[in-house]
Amino acid sequence: MTRALPCAVELHDLTKSFGDVLAVDEVSAVALPGEVTALLGPNGAGKTTTLRMLLGLVAPSSGTATFGGRRYDELTDPVRRVGAVLEASGCHPGRTPLDHLRILATASRLPKDAPTRVLAETGLAADARRRVGEFSLGMRQRLGLAAAMLGDPDVLVLDEPTNGLDPPGVRWLRGYVRRLADEGRTVLVSSHALSEVEQTADHVLVLAHGRLLRSSRLAALRAEAGVGSRVRTPDPDRLCAALQAAGHRFRRTEEGLAVDASPEEVGELAAAHGVVLHGLVATADLEQAFFRLIQESGSARRPASTEGAGS
Amino acid sequence: MRALVHAEVLKLRTRTAAWLLLATLGLVALTIGESVPKVGDPNASVSLDDPGLLAGIVGIGFGVPEVLVVLLGGLAFTQEFRYGTITSTYLGEPRRTRVLVAKWLSLALASVVITIATLAFSATFGIALISSRNGEVTLATQFWQTAAAAFVVMAAYCVIGVAVGALVRNQIAAAVGVLVWMLAVEQTVTPSFPAIGRWMPGGATDALLQLGPELGLEGKLLSAPVGGLVLLGYTAAALTLALLLTPRRDVL
Repeated sequence: MTRALPCAVELHDLTKSFGDVLAVDEVSAVALPGEVTALLGPNGAGKTTTLRMLLGLVAPSSGTATFGGRRYDELTDPVRRVGAVLEASGCHPGRTPLDHLRILATASRLPKDAPTRVLAETGLAADARRRVGEFSLGMRQRLGLAAAMLGDPDVLVLDEPTNGLDPPGVRWLRGYVRRLADEGRTVLVSSHALSEVEQTADHVLVLAHGRLLRSSRLAALRAEAGVGSRVRTPDPDRLCAALQAAGHRFRRTEEGLAVDASPEEVGELAAAHGVVLHGLVATADLEQAFFRLIQESGSARRPASTEGAGS
Repeated sequence: MRALVHAEVLKLRTRTAAWLLLATLGLVALTIGESVPKVGDPNASVSLDDPGLLAGIVGIGFGVPEVLVVLLGGLAFTQEFRYGTITSTYLGEPRRTRVLVAKWLSLALASVVITIATLAFSATFGIALISSRNGEVTLATQFWQTAAAAFVVMAAYCVIGVAVGALVRNQIAAAVGVLVWMLAVEQTVTPSFPAIGRWMPGGATDALLQLGPELGLEGKLLSAPVGGLVLLGYTAAALTLALLLTPRRDVL
């Protein structure tokens, strides 16, 4: 199924300052219908501020953010055009999800059956009459999605939607978001969880320090990432010192080390320094490219480079 | 606008429990019980056979509902900021002045219900109490003037409450500010410094409800029409500030 009215999201030189702090700096990008576009960046990169400017909640210092050429506050029926999830706690804890959705549906003159429809879609039908205060964070995320889908919108804007979801919930969300994009909707999703972006996005916008570092097809970014390694060792300090001396980038993770070098290089280096390894696997994921981009942006604030459909 | 007002009424109905109204009426009863003079009380400011007694005690009875509607008005916005629902409210209606007006209209509807309930309860309870103390019950013109003024006062306080909530945003700050102002500052300033207090919202309200004799401030308050104008002035100022600032402020 495709949408009758495809609607692209366009950011043009979008800038926001809070006093002396430049939170978002001349960000220009496009999210296209039928695709999942990921706004990727570490905490404090400016993702949420960008999305809030897009939705008319924060006034840009300069630049524009539009849906099909119109600002959010210029849309005639905004809930039917754009659905958004910005925070998991956007519901009074004393209300039931059904009451919460009825209020939103009433304000936007949506059909009376819309709340029950989206509760069923998001797997909350059985909890429709429980108080939201009893919900887990994951259930609140689902409720946020249900609210966003009330108007069956053409565009979906999600800010860190996997926060608080358990693994089955994350898997469900991936499938749900993918299906919405396949139906012809424009999906813009922010995340700092690289694995989420890697499995759902068609296009990525990498943001750090308020600047757009990269706008690229996911496949292109992955190809650039090259081969990296994940290493487990009982002596990480010595391996880190050896990697540093050899000029390889690396970072510590919960499992061990993520290294920007092939397993062969890491294995040989470890052997040369007498470091015992308990695990060494090749990785070729977005994490490498993302890690490099963020590191480079930290040392030198360079102009954004763009390529592909999102540029 | 109708859909927005309907949604705001739903918000009130799904959160504001009936016990709040019952508690308010209980406090109204206590206030009235204290206001009706005892038989043979030499310190009473109004006698049991004063033709303005019923109007006075009905007017006094509105002290608690006035605070209630300001708090409810304030909660209309501060609760949305506290729980993050303001985001979905503004996403549904990005023209924020319409949201502000819808909240005021829904609260005005609620205030009509509270006003009618308070009037009916305080008049019934007041008449019963005066009769039981062998006083004279008079439904004089002043009673009907007070009843009409009560609707104006409650509607004005709704506007002020919604404006306070929209401007302050923080629920505890707004609630504490309202309570301190209405129950401490005005209750102290008006009797102690009536020349200043009569120009404050509470003093203007007392004047509009013609409560001078009951409060021992006869001749020290403004006339009822001037008091009404002063209260409407405060209301207009609060509404203007809220209408000007609400659309410009970021929702973070």
